[in-house]
Amino acid sequence: MTKRIQVVSGAVLAVAVAIGFYFFNARWLSPAPRQVKAAVNYPIAPDFSVTDINGARLALADYKGKVVLLDFWATWCGPCRIEIPWFVQLQQKYRDQGFEVVGVAMEDTPEAVNEFYQQFHLNYPVALGDSQVAARYGGIGGLPTSFLIGRDGRVYSEHTGTTSSEVFEGEIQQLLSGKPGVELASFSPVGDPQEIDIGTPEEANPDVPGVDISKLSPAELADFKKQLDQTKCSCGCKFTVLQCRKVDTACSTSRQMAREALKQFQASKGKDVKPAT
Amino acid sequence: MKLLFRNLVLSCILTAWFACALSMAQAPPTPVVTGHLVLNTDAAHAGSSVKAAVVAEVAPGYHINDHVPSLDYLIPTELKLEAAEPLSLGSISYPKGSPQKFSFLDTPISVYQGKLLVGAALKVAAGAKPGEYTLKGTLHYQACNDHACLAPTNLAVAVTVNIVPRSEPVKHVNSDVFSAIKFN
Repeated sequence: MTKRIQVVSGAVLAVAVAIGFYFFNARWLSPAPRQVKAAVNYPIAPDFSVTDINGARLALADYKGKVVLLDFWATWCGPCRIEIPWFVQLQQKYRDQGFEVVGVAMEDTPEAVNEFYQQFHLNYPVALGDSQVAARYGGIGGLPTSFLIGRDGRVYSEHTGTTSSEVFEGEIQQLLSGKPGVELASFSPVGDPQEIDIGTPEEANPDVPGVDISKLSPAELADFKKQLDQTKCSCGCKFTVLQCRKVDTACSTSRQMAREALKQFQASKGKDVKPAT
Repeated sequence: MKLLFRNLVLSCILTAWFACALSMAQAPPTPVVTGHLVLNTDAAHAGSSVKAAVVAEVAPGYHINDHVPSLDYLIPTELKLEAAEPLSLGSISYPKGSPQKFSFLDTPISVYQGKLLVGAALKVAAGAKPGEYTLKGTLHYQACNDHACLAPTNLAVAVTVNIVPRSEPVKHVNSDVFSAIKFN
């Protein structure tokens, strides 16, 4: 009995020491692992708007209400290529339940991506990514990196490196079955709070991203854009408000300035003013 | 008590090793490839031939692609040297990669791992004036480990070529490096 207690005690102590070693090594000896910034519960997926390889606009905000697998990949990346056929199957299997795969190819030119898209019969949108898009997701240190985004627009998991299709499918099923805004116990949020407003569908537009311009006539829109292009953004970017809205849709300063400007613009035209959110 | 202590020590060593290996696998070493440029002589005469070599080291657990990749979509490793006057660049000699099997591919691919030597032949112009000239370049590579890849990047390298009058002797150096390179 004493011997058994000794063995068990030894094992418990060993595990405790190992966990200590692990965290010490992970935090102080290795470079800090990149993580998506977490909100109080889970981080809001940073929005981006790009043009996909078929020429259509691809904005993450357009997928709000759906479960999204956001895959950063490249044609030259062997581990990425192994996952693509799984994503094609998952897209096919769960599309009708509100699931979408969005691919962001981290390449400079579209030729190889186009060829790959045709060859592997991709059934989901793919756009070329750049350092700006990658920066919003923590810099994307390694490929593939995939983010599972829930119906509430929050990032529930991140996978860097080849991950099994079973893991993806299990997470997709959980997110599809979850209610928007309700935490899923099986996921663990990490990081520091960071809230990014991805806006309403009306606010997701290429003219003035983040601002609902749907009530403006074409002539009014042109005037409004001119006005924004004559106002310097105060976020420190050296752009005008309009330029900042386009190059950094996550900038809360330019968004607020543009929304305030819209309120005044609409008031001057005697239009209904929608309160800025 | 002895048994407890022995179990504890052995378990700690094994689990600590495993934990270190696991956490090290989370973040790539920065940069994955380190190295420098060397010459086969400590100086050179006008009109002579000089050999240069990049002596690089690929971090453990990572590989970079062969200069002639096994698959057309892989990014080749490539040395680019800027040989400004009075230096001119000859052929560049890459080693043959070693075939390795990775979990993301069914067949082995030819890659460079560990120490990598890439040679380059240089010619010093006949009319070169004595002095120090900088030879700069980049080793372009794209690294992966068994489950993830990093973006293509460059290792910047440079070396000073000291051109001396013919009256001054030139000594061969770095023989261990240059004897290991099969020049074209």
